Amino acid sequence: MSTGVPGLDAVLNGGLVTSGVYIVVGEPGAGKTLLANQLCYHQGRGGARCLYVTLLAESHARMLANMRDMSFFDPALLPEGVYYVSGFRTLEEQGLPGLLELLRREVRNHNASILILDGLVQAQEAAGSSRDFKKFIHELQVSAGLARFTALMLTSSNGPTVHPEYTMVDGILELRERTLGVRSWRELQVRKFRGGATLTGVHTFRISSDGLEVFPRLEARVRRAQPPAPDANRVHFGIPSFDAMFPAGLATGSTTLMLGPPGSGKTLLGSSLLAEGLRRGESCLYMGFYESPERLLHKLAAVGMDLDGAVEAGRMHILWQPPAECILDVLAHQLLSTVKQHRIQRVFVDGLSAMGQAAPDASRMGSFFAALTQELRYEAATTVFSLETPRLFGPVLDVPLEIGPSAVAENLFFLRHVELEGRLRRLLSIFKLRDADFDPSLREFVISRQGIEVQPPFNSSLDTLLTGLARHASGGHP
Amino acid sequence: METILVVDDEQGILEALADLLREEGYRVLTASHGREALERMGELRPDLVLTDWMMPVLDGPALIERIRSEPSWKDVSLLGMSAVDVGALRVQYPGIPFLQKPFDIPALMRQVRKALDGRRASAG
Repeated sequence: MSTGVPGLDAVLNGGLVTSGVYIVVGEPGAGKTLLANQLCYHQGRGGARCLYVTLLAESHARMLANMRDMSFFDPALLPEGVYYVSGFRTLEEQGLPGLLELLRREVRNHNASILILDGLVQAQEAAGSSRDFKKFIHELQVSAGLARFTALMLTSSNGPTVHPEYTMVDGILELRERTLGVRSWRELQVRKFRGGATLTGVHTFRISSDGLEVFPRLEARVRRAQPPAPDANRVHFGIPSFDAMFPAGLATGSTTLMLGPPGSGKTLLGSSLLAEGLRRGESCLYMGFYESPERLLHKLAAVGMDLDGAVEAGRMHILWQPPAECILDVLAHQLLSTVKQHRIQRVFVDGLSAMGQAAPDASRMGSFFAALTQELRYEAATTVFSLETPRLFGPVLDVPLEIGPSAVAENLFFLRHVELEGRLRRLLSIFKLRDADFDPSLREFVISRQGIEVQPPFNSSLDTLLTGLARHASGGHP
Repeated sequence: METILVVDDEQGILEALADLLREEGYRVLTASHGREALERMGELRPDLVLTDWMMPVLDGPALIERIRSEPSWKDVSLLGMSAVDVGALRVQYPGIPFLQKPFDIPALMRQVRKALDGRRASAG
C-alpha cells in the first residue's frame, strides 16, 4: 500500500503491507502527524476511507488548519474519505478495552481501510501494566487482520525508542531531528519491518508545503549489478590542444576528478566538456554551488562559450544549490533524477567539496561517492567533478576529501598556478587516465576570449613545477 | 434559564465550551458523542443542541436526524460546528446554522444567542 510520501515507498520496499500494524515513533514536531495525514489524503484520493483517532493530540481544528497549507490536503475528502474522532475520553473512562472497542466499532462504521491512532503514548500510560499494553496491541493486530485495515500508531519517544511492547507490531518507523552546530536536518529509520527487505540505515527527509519527502540513502539503493560496459564512443572537451593530450578521449560514462586551487580554471575546463557535448547535440548538466546560473552563463560567454541557446532549448540543464543548507542525499537525488529525466550524457559537478560539506558524517563520503559514480555509470553519463585544493602554492598537495581520489574517479586531472619568470601561469597535467594513453607532460594553459588554449610542454629544464614554485633542474630558480 | 447541550468528542473543547456558556448564564449539559447526547436529552430537554460533526459512536448528522425525527424535540434548536469546511455542510443541511472550527468566542456567543432567539420567535 503506497504511503503517498515520495521516497518512503522505496525505503519500505513498495510501501506498507495491507492489514499490518505499524508504529511511527518520534519526538514532538518530528513529522509523525504530517506523515499520517499525508498517507490518509493520498489513500483517500484513491477511494480508501481513513479513520484518524486522536488521544489528546492537538485539536482536530488545529490539525486541519495546519493541513490546509499542505498541497496534499483536499477538503472534499472530509468527512467521507478522512474522518477524525477523539478517543481520549473513552480511554480515560474505559481504559484500553474501551479504546479497543471504539477503534473496532468506528473502523466498521466508517468502512475504514486505514486507521491512524495518534498519541499511542497516552494508551501506553493508561495501561495498567506492560502486559495489558501488549494485549491491546495484539488484539488490534487481530482486528486489523480480520477487518482488513492497516493501522498506523503514532507515539512520541518516551524513553527508549523501541519498547519491548513495540516489537509485536509489523513495522516501526522512527523520525528524528538531528542538529550539528547551527544546522539541523531530519532523519527516518526503519527499525523493524515485516514483509520485505527495506532500505537499511538512516534516510534523510524534509518537510515542505508538499508534506514529507524522503531521500533514500544513496548507498542503500544503489544497484548491485555491474553497470553496462562503456560503448565505443569516446568523449572529448572540444579543445584541440587539450584533446590532443589524450587522443582516445574519455570513456563514455567514466568519472573524472579535476583538482585545483581557486581560480585555476576548473569551471571553464569542466564547462568545455559540456559545450562540446552540446555542439554534438547531446544533453548536458551543470551542477554548481557557488555561482548563480546567470553569473555562470555570463562567465562562460566571456570566453566564447555561449550556452544561453542550449539552456533555452532545454538541452543544457543547470542545477544551482547554494551550499549553506545542502543535504547530501537531496543533492544526489536532484542530480540523478535530472540525469535520468533528461537523458543527460555529460555532467559537470563543479564543487565536490560542497557536496562533502553537505554530509554531517564524513566517514560516509567514500561509500557515497562510490554509489554516486556507480549510478552515473549506469546512466552512461560522462562526469567531471571539480575539487578545490586549499593551497595556491607550495610543495604540499591537499586533497580535501575523506577518501582517495582514485576511489572517486577513473581519470585524474590536476590544475594549479605556477610562478614563472615573474608571471603567474596556469598549469595543467593529467595524472591518470584509465584504459587510454595520455601525455603526462605539464602544460600551461591560457584562457582568453577565444576560450582555452593548451600550450606546448614546459621547458624540460624546469623542475618542481607542480609545487607552484618552479626551479631549474640545476637547483636555481628561473 | 436556557439549557444548552454541547456535544463534542474532543474533551478539551467540550470542557472549554461548557465553561464559557456557563459563564454566560446558561445551564449546560455535555456529551462526548451522539448516543450520549440522546441519553442526556431523555433526561432533560435542552433548548439548544450545539454539536460537533465528526464523532465516534453516533456522529453529528445521525444525531440531528434522530432529534428531528422525534416530535417532542421539534422545537429544540440546532447549531452544528465542524473543523471541515462548513460551506458544504450548509448546502447539505439547509436550515441548520454551522460554526466553522476554530471559532472565536464572540462569534460563538452570537450564533448561540441567534439560535435561541430564533427558537423563541418561532414558538411565539
